[in-house]
Amino acid sequence: MTENTSVERGINPGVATRPGDAETVKAARKGGPRISPFGILMLSPALLFLLAFFFAPVVLTAVFSFTNMTSATGITGGAYVISPNTLRNLEWQGMDKAVTESLSGTSITVDEAALSRAAEAGVDPDFLDDIESRLMGAHFEDARSFERELKTLPNRPRRIRDLKLAAEPFGQSILNTRFATRDQAVTAIDAVAPDLTEDQRDAVLTEAYTGWVWTTDNFKRLATTPATGRLLTNTALYVGLTLSIFNVGLGLFLAIAIFYMPKASGSVFSVLWLLPRITPVVLYAVMWRWFTWDDGFLPTLAAQFGLPSFNYMKGSVPTAWATIITLNGFIGASFGMILFSGALRAIPVQQLWASEVDGASRWQQVRKIILPQLKWPILFVTCYQSLSLLSSYQEIWLTTNGGPGNTTNVWALEAFRIALSNFTGNLEYGLGAAMALVLVVVGLTLSIIFLRLFKFGEMLEKPKIEF
Amino acid sequence: MSRNFASWPLILVLGLLSLPLVIMYAFVFIDSFTNAPPGSMIPNEFTLEHWQFLIDPSIAGNVWSATLNTLIFACSIGAIVVSLSSMGGYALSRLNMPFRQFFLAGIMVMHAFPSVTLIIGVFLVLQFIGLYDTLIGVVFVKASLMLPFGIWIMKGFYDTVPWEIEMAGVQDGASRFTVWRRLILPQVKPGLIALVVFSFLDAWGEYVLPRILAPTADYRVLSVYLERVSQKDSITYDFNLFKAVGLYYTLPVIILFIIFQNRLMNIFSGGTKG
Repeated sequence: MTENTSVERGINPGVATRPGDAETVKAARKGGPRISPFGILMLSPALLFLLAFFFAPVVLTAVFSFTNMTSATGITGGAYVISPNTLRNLEWQGMDKAVTESLSGTSITVDEAALSRAAEAGVDPDFLDDIESRLMGAHFEDARSFERELKTLPNRPRRIRDLKLAAEPFGQSILNTRFATRDQAVTAIDAVAPDLTEDQRDAVLTEAYTGWVWTTDNFKRLATTPATGRLLTNTALYVGLTLSIFNVGLGLFLAIAIFYMPKASGSVFSVLWLLPRITPVVLYAVMWRWFTWDDGFLPTLAAQFGLPSFNYMKGSVPTAWATIITLNGFIGASFGMILFSGALRAIPVQQLWASEVDGASRWQQVRKIILPQLKWPILFVTCYQSLSLLSSYQEIWLTTNGGPGNTTNVWALEAFRIALSNFTGNLEYGLGAAMALVLVVVGLTLSIIFLRLFKFGEMLEKPKIEF
Repeated sequence: MSRNFASWPLILVLGLLSLPLVIMYAFVFIDSFTNAPPGSMIPNEFTLEHWQFLIDPSIAGNVWSATLNTLIFACSIGAIVVSLSSMGGYALSRLNMPFRQFFLAGIMVMHAFPSVTLIIGVFLVLQFIGLYDTLIGVVFVKASLMLPFGIWIMKGFYDTVPWEIEMAGVQDGASRFTVWRRLILPQVKPGLIALVVFSFLDAWGEYVLPRILAPTADYRVLSVYLERVSQKDSITYDFNLFKAVGLYYTLPVIILFIIFQNRLMNIFSGGTKG
């Protein structure tokens, strides 16, 4: 390795054997701690990947949330197309009718392109030679004056109908033609409708542009539409209930119950509750569908007991909520279970023995000894899982998909559906990115706050060997 | 843990709570091998007809090519994650470099950060670099989203290796790279195995990324395959067929999990699933 020499020079047993002295040794060195190019080399492949698929998406989400990008505008930028629709929209916006009519007219120009079009259309070559030699570069406002000019040529066709057919390829309408740049569009518009004012032309161009433009409308829309409030309430409800009942509540109960159990039955339960976490999400969703669907397990069972039996997953709002909270909670409970189990094993067992000698009941043990010592793990699980619940949509998407109606829709699912998966066909990347940006900002802020809370500094010890 | 209390009431309560899970998983197994009369849940005949999709592609498409695709998908992700994490984790754990604090904080934040929200941004990135609708693009994305977790886990494993081993190697004249490869990597083998199994399992179960980022490509992974089977028609829902497909799909996961259970437990608590 090329670093060899610098590595050897850097060996300083004094640093290595007394890590506590790192500061004094560092001070003794002139240039501060030596920097290892090897470290950068080792980290760079990972950094490259993170930059491309972690950092860049965050930036792009932020950037494109300020655009009106949809699948109709495309992603890489657009062209200028004046369609009959464009003209109709312009008229609605109060544009003069004369202007739109002049835009939909044709202009006639004799140039190479037009000549070759005419040759392709099967116009007599001698006639074309005439046109080329006499009228090259000429420009006509309408078809009649062009035809009048054609009638003076020696090789003109005998019949008027043929003459009209020969004239056709020279006419060019700007309607439905794609212009790649603004300049091309301006030239074309000037040719057809030269008496447009600058303002009118700009209005036409804005309307004719098919690409995306910068805008803050996404955020305005989010701030004003009543659906936002509904989504926020749903999200808060979903995160709050799942977290408190299952991720923390059930997780805690599982950990403590397994702690008090004989080892064999305890490990059976801990594996059982880990299953939802390792089961692929699609199968897990299908299992729940079977469990709650019309002729699935629960409705069949309920029918036999004379209870109301219907599709619990989509049939009514309360059962739909109960379904998504339970199915997400069953996945989340194992996270708390593992973490709390670890923390429980760290409690000195003598404390429990002592309390039993003093005649404490199991409930008293849990309340007075175990829970106080699980304070930090509980806080950690709450923080960590609230973040992942806030952004989770896969399970809801695969089961209720926000239904019935929009009653179980949450923010993350709505963002995902707007931008990437709806059946109306037009995917609104811009609006979806704006919604995702809200989640990104909330997620970043919360994770930074949480790291502060859990004494992030302690995790960042200096490397012991500094060379 | 203590004989002063009876444990059967606890087992009873926990058993009742776990009943939905037990029923769901038991019936995945039972239903894939049996038929039940309409209106009942109790099977009355043993059959292998639900497993015919394995040999008859007309039922649900070619399951073997989907399996091969999933295997390639999960293996490449496992390989990328474990190699980049073992390198990056070592750098962050042992080597001094500029912005080390910054990198560590960044990795921590990214690890805590819910990466599923990035899918819109990732979609745009793939569009720009031309990897949209390719398997390799999805592999890169999935591996990158797992990297912060992998690096953090590997850093933890490196932190527990006594640095005297490293010192001895360097004193004997080995380069830093040789020390890492020959002396340190064998020390963190449990971590490497746990990480590679974990990322394999995670990739094996991945659904959203292949479904959204590679929607029309010819290959299909098993998760998308299973979802297609279950989407057919909600009236003639053939639960038994997709239970058989589902069981087939999940079996490797369960087997790997049982084999590596203890090693995985070490790192499961760091997982980011809801």
